[in-house]
Amino acid sequence: MRSETGFDPALYDRFPTREERPAGEMKELERIWCAPKGWQLLTVVNNNYIGAFYVGAAFLFFLLAGVLALVMRVQLAWPLNGILPQETYNQFFTMHGTVMMFLFAVPAVEALGVLLLPQMLAARDLPFPRLSAYAFWAYLIGGLAFFASIFVGLAPDGGWFMYPPYTSTSFSPGINADFWLLGIGFIEISAIAGAIEIIVGVLRTRAPGMSLEKMPIFAWAMLVFAAMIIIGFPAVILGTLLLELERALNWPFFDPTRGGDPLLWQHLFWFFGHPEVYIIFLPAAGLVTMMASALAKTAVVGYRLIVLALVSTGFISFGVWAHHMFTTGMPTLTVGFFSAASMAVSVPAGIQVFSWIATLASGRPRMNTPTLFLVGGIVIFVMGGLTGVMVALVPFDYQAHDSYFIVAHLHYVLIGGMVFPLFAAFYNWTPMMSRRPLSEAMGKWVFWLMFAGMHLTFLPMHVTGLMGMPRRVYTYLPDRDWETTNLLSTIGAGILALGICLFLIDLARNFRFSADENAGNVYGGGTLEWLPTGLYSTRSIPVVRSRDPLWHDPALPEDVEQGRYFLPNSATGLRETIITSPIRAEPEYLQIMPGPSPWPVAAALFTAGFFLLLTVQAYWTGVVSGIIAILCLLRWLWDTDRPVREPQVDIGAGIMAPTYVTGPRSHGWWAMMVLLTVIGMIFLMACFSYLYLYGVHPRLWIAPPDAAWLIPILLAYGAGFGLAWLGRRLLRRDKTRLWTPGVLLMAGGGGSILAFAIDFLSWRGHGLSPDASGQGATVYAFLSLQGLLVAILFIMTCYMAARNSRGLINRPADNSYDLVYLFAAYTAAQGLVSALLTRLFPGSLL
Amino acid sequence: MTRLPIFSRSTEQALAGWPPPVLDPAGPFASSITVLSWVLFAIGGVILGLVLAALWVALAGPERLRSRLGGTRVIWLAGIALPVVVLTALLIYGLTLTSMLRTPTQPSDIRVRVTGEMWWWRVAYLDQTGRVAMTDANEIHIPVGRTVTVELQSSDVIHSFWVPRLSGKIDMVPGRRNVLRMQADAPGVYAGQCAEYCGGAHALMGFMVVAHRPDDYARLMAGRRRPAPVAGGEAARGAQLFQSNGCGACHRVAGTAANGLAGPDLSHVGSRRTLGAGILPNNRGTMIGWIGDPQSLKPGNRMPAYSMLPGRDLTAIAAYLETLR
Amino acid sequence: MLLLLLGGCKPPPEGRVALPGADLERGKLVMQQAGCAACHVIPGIAWPKGRLGPDLTGFARQGMIAGRVPNRPDVLTAFIRNAPAVAPGTTMPAMPLNPGEARDAAAYLLSLD
Repeated sequence: MRSETGFDPALYDRFPTREERPAGEMKELERIWCAPKGWQLLTVVNNNYIGAFYVGAAFLFFLLAGVLALVMRVQLAWPLNGILPQETYNQFFTMHGTVMMFLFAVPAVEALGVLLLPQMLAARDLPFPRLSAYAFWAYLIGGLAFFASIFVGLAPDGGWFMYPPYTSTSFSPGINADFWLLGIGFIEISAIAGAIEIIVGVLRTRAPGMSLEKMPIFAWAMLVFAAMIIIGFPAVILGTLLLELERALNWPFFDPTRGGDPLLWQHLFWFFGHPEVYIIFLPAAGLVTMMASALAKTAVVGYRLIVLALVSTGFISFGVWAHHMFTTGMPTLTVGFFSAASMAVSVPAGIQVFSWIATLASGRPRMNTPTLFLVGGIVIFVMGGLTGVMVALVPFDYQAHDSYFIVAHLHYVLIGGMVFPLFAAFYNWTPMMSRRPLSEAMGKWVFWLMFAGMHLTFLPMHVTGLMGMPRRVYTYLPDRDWETTNLLSTIGAGILALGICLFLIDLARNFRFSADENAGNVYGGGTLEWLPTGLYSTRSIPVVRSRDPLWHDPALPEDVEQGRYFLPNSATGLRETIITSPIRAEPEYLQIMPGPSPWPVAAALFTAGFFLLLTVQAYWTGVVSGIIAILCLLRWLWDTDRPVREPQVDIGAGIMAPTYVTGPRSHGWWAMMVLLTVIGMIFLMACFSYLYLYGVHPRLWIAPPDAAWLIPILLAYGAGFGLAWLGRRLLRRDKTRLWTPGVLLMAGGGGSILAFAIDFLSWRGHGLSPDASGQGATVYAFLSLQGLLVAILFIMTCYMAARNSRGLINRPADNSYDLVYLFAAYTAAQGLVSALLTRLFPGSLL
Repeated sequence: MTRLPIFSRSTEQALAGWPPPVLDPAGPFASSITVLSWVLFAIGGVILGLVLAALWVALAGPERLRSRLGGTRVIWLAGIALPVVVLTALLIYGLTLTSMLRTPTQPSDIRVRVTGEMWWWRVAYLDQTGRVAMTDANEIHIPVGRTVTVELQSSDVIHSFWVPRLSGKIDMVPGRRNVLRMQADAPGVYAGQCAEYCGGAHALMGFMVVAHRPDDYARLMAGRRRPAPVAGGEAARGAQLFQSNGCGACHRVAGTAANGLAGPDLSHVGSRRTLGAGILPNNRGTMIGWIGDPQSLKPGNRMPAYSMLPGRDLTAIAAYLETLR
Repeated sequence: MLLLLLGGCKPPPEGRVALPGADLERGKLVMQQAGCAACHVIPGIAWPKGRLGPDLTGFARQGMIAGRVPNRPDVLTAFIRNAPAVAPGTTMPAMPLNPGEARDAAAYLLSLD
């Protein structure tokens, strides 16, 4: 066998070990990983808790948005019904869509990732537990505050895709639209944080021996999910930023009278918005694959094809966004391309559907509740997929677009592709974390009510759409023949709701959270999450030798529980997990993990305060809240980057691993790279917006300031990067005085700030005003993004200076220093590219 | 409930609600999509049947069939090969049809420019050089058998122009001009509706396309070019009230001092089938009710209420407007 | 929910026809075609439901028309055709109906209790 890191795979043969483990190891593990009690539970960071909270919160938003839908269905039950006045209805459907997509669907699958991934990978926890906690609390607090806007009539009313110009201040002057931008801000934070966590978690914390080939499909799905968030979310982050800038400062990104274009928003939104559907669907599909295999007690059929399907869905989904814009009058060639891509994306879906069927056929499925939900979900999803192919055909879309046919289609896809698999997952994985499984008898009722209700609600909607009923109407006139199908839909919605109520009763009766005394492997699954676990995850971390280790080696649970594998104890007396290599999962080093802390929840609280206060236009208190949030964040980071006394420890069977690793092998470096990819994508989207607006209205553009300005900008950014690089080099030399690297880093930060200032002042002095044209707006948008980066860089260098003064910078290399260095390098690079782009193109053409 | 006498579908159709307008085309642009729709429904039905059958075999079928289903071969055949073949064929069909529907304007086309407004439709009939020949609102008159090019634009937010029985929909995007072609093969009234959410009264933003026989159409258009007859009697008093109450600040009546552009052009309002953008039948009572309290009929619309006018004055104004044909 | 819906569709109450020989159904149709509902909520007419004038639900139980003249079939018939003549100063305009149509409409209104 070849090796990826120089680790000798023959060492795996030492496991399971034979000798007795010393007594007290278990007690020690339990003590180290025990969760805080009472009010202190707010400070908890363990994935068992955060994951469960996360799933619970997402489900709460599902119920809330579902109630909105029910009220809307009652309003539409018959023509001219007066339950919801027009404005309220418009707020209801906007909130229903937004909450379902942003506060339920994405967080729900992310939550399942947080909850299940460490168990499936047999890691002790995800690599950044405090980040998970922060993301969760920001999401919960922000989401609840956002939802509360509906009770005071301040909820957004522009639809979940918020098309300008309707959402600009001319047509939506109230702060309702700002609430939408606020709500999205939270989910952007938590989604990006989750994606970083999941990418690093899946690639670096798998159990030793679990090569990519042997990874559970869910982990593959979550990896693609996270990669798609990294690529897709930046578009909506930039979009919301631009819309808020337009609303607050009157910069005309989307205003056609001043060189903006409403379609720019649609491109940005759907570049995120369509992949979003797959972001929701792929993790659920991964769960379906795993459950189909576990419930039929047979290996997944077509493992490689499924992986291929997941990855190719991820790729193709970024080439289909404009199929939401077929009716906007794009050129025929463009329309043809997007039509073809939209149809192509159904091939990987076909692969997955038939691999599920093949897996079920090759095993012995029993008709229990999870299987019912699984199969019901497949049927619904296939129906939604078929109507999806229909609307991918441009002429059919000319009729179906924005009608109830689309409402039917998207609910079939999302309910079949995500909600039913989620319920299957609830039934399937509840025994992993509850003392009792959910009731089988009641579960069947839940399924049949939901299945029948779902079809009765949405099947007639296809016809309603073909009858000409547009979506997003608060009522309709009695002479349009739309009464019958609408009434059927309303009755169906009631039945669906009844099923969900029954599920809640089941949950209340049987769900009793417990990480260690759970009901266990009642469905006989073969993957690692069914090993006996505590809050520390598994007692020891097994060597993985197949895709279904529990079926492959029936003795595994016992061996793991007796500590006969990796890390049967805490090697350093702290929370820790093994970091493995990305492809073959060879053990590389031991990561020391942070424990419970009040700072993440405090940071989340003040982050929420920052956004909320800005939205209600309390600017100064908002800024104060933002500063407190940053201080909390720095405080939580302060004690995370500390080496332990032992540089090398025994991680089991005498295998030694380092405890402090820096540079490109470290998990922190990986996380920073992911974060920089996100920032880079935001920048790329800004470049797209800039070029797009030039293409639409070139007449309004003026020549840029003299190219000679580029020389000082180049020099200053060069200094910004060079000094940070030099500091990092000097850290390695023994002779360097300790304060030097910190000072160099600060000076480098100063260089970037200087470069930014020169860039900004040159445009200012040139007389381009941000509200003058699309050029003004986008140039100042570049400057705003860059200003944000240099501000963050400044905070980072101050933080490093503070660490330096306390002697907390490690030699010969320091993780915190590395990360700030990476950020400084990126900041200089982005600043330089934006300065060049705005001056040279289309500068030379003007 | 009683039906409003607005649309030209027979009572039996109305009672059944079938066929739905998208599947009941009245012209070539819509009917080609209807054919495509039926092809798609048929293929969709067959594939759904296939999946259901496969699922049934997988869960409860005889062992012999189950074992044949339980391998990667089925994924290759049904999950890859079948979709690729079907989708390629559909794609070719779809793209051919798309380019047919999007053929550029022909010189022989009738040209109409429709501008989306919150929440009504500004209509301008164009001559062959593209100059505005006549203006109207919320109702488009076309001759049967002729292709009509509709130029679509918006003066505020995004709207979408949709007459399901005559063609698909195209959005009206501020700052852009889109084109849609439609044709009716039989005389009648075809309901249209805004399809893109445009805030407030989006639900009540309808319009009518009225198709006439060619000679009727010619007569109608010629009649409209003549100035409206001078009103007498009660209508004359109504005309005065119309001016003195400032209606002309927002509404235009051709040949009079009223030349406002904020609201619908009323030069031919008397002949319109509907009021309030396709939502109310046009008669004395609804005209009075609309002028007196439009907000109770279409919440959020931009027309202020004239509830301070006594009934006599409202009657006179309505009588005047009825003469504008 | 279903009951409510059926309630909305029920035919106008039969029986007590205040004006001999008048046709309730035709009265409703006349009111619909004249657009009375643009200003009044009138049971049996689904749309429109204007609020400029008073709600006519339960009109038969009302003692006065427009609060001024007695609610008698003959007065009502005259009022529907030319309200300003019957009750000067009323906001209700005269409606272009012939005496027969007005009679039917009055009969319909008087069946609303």
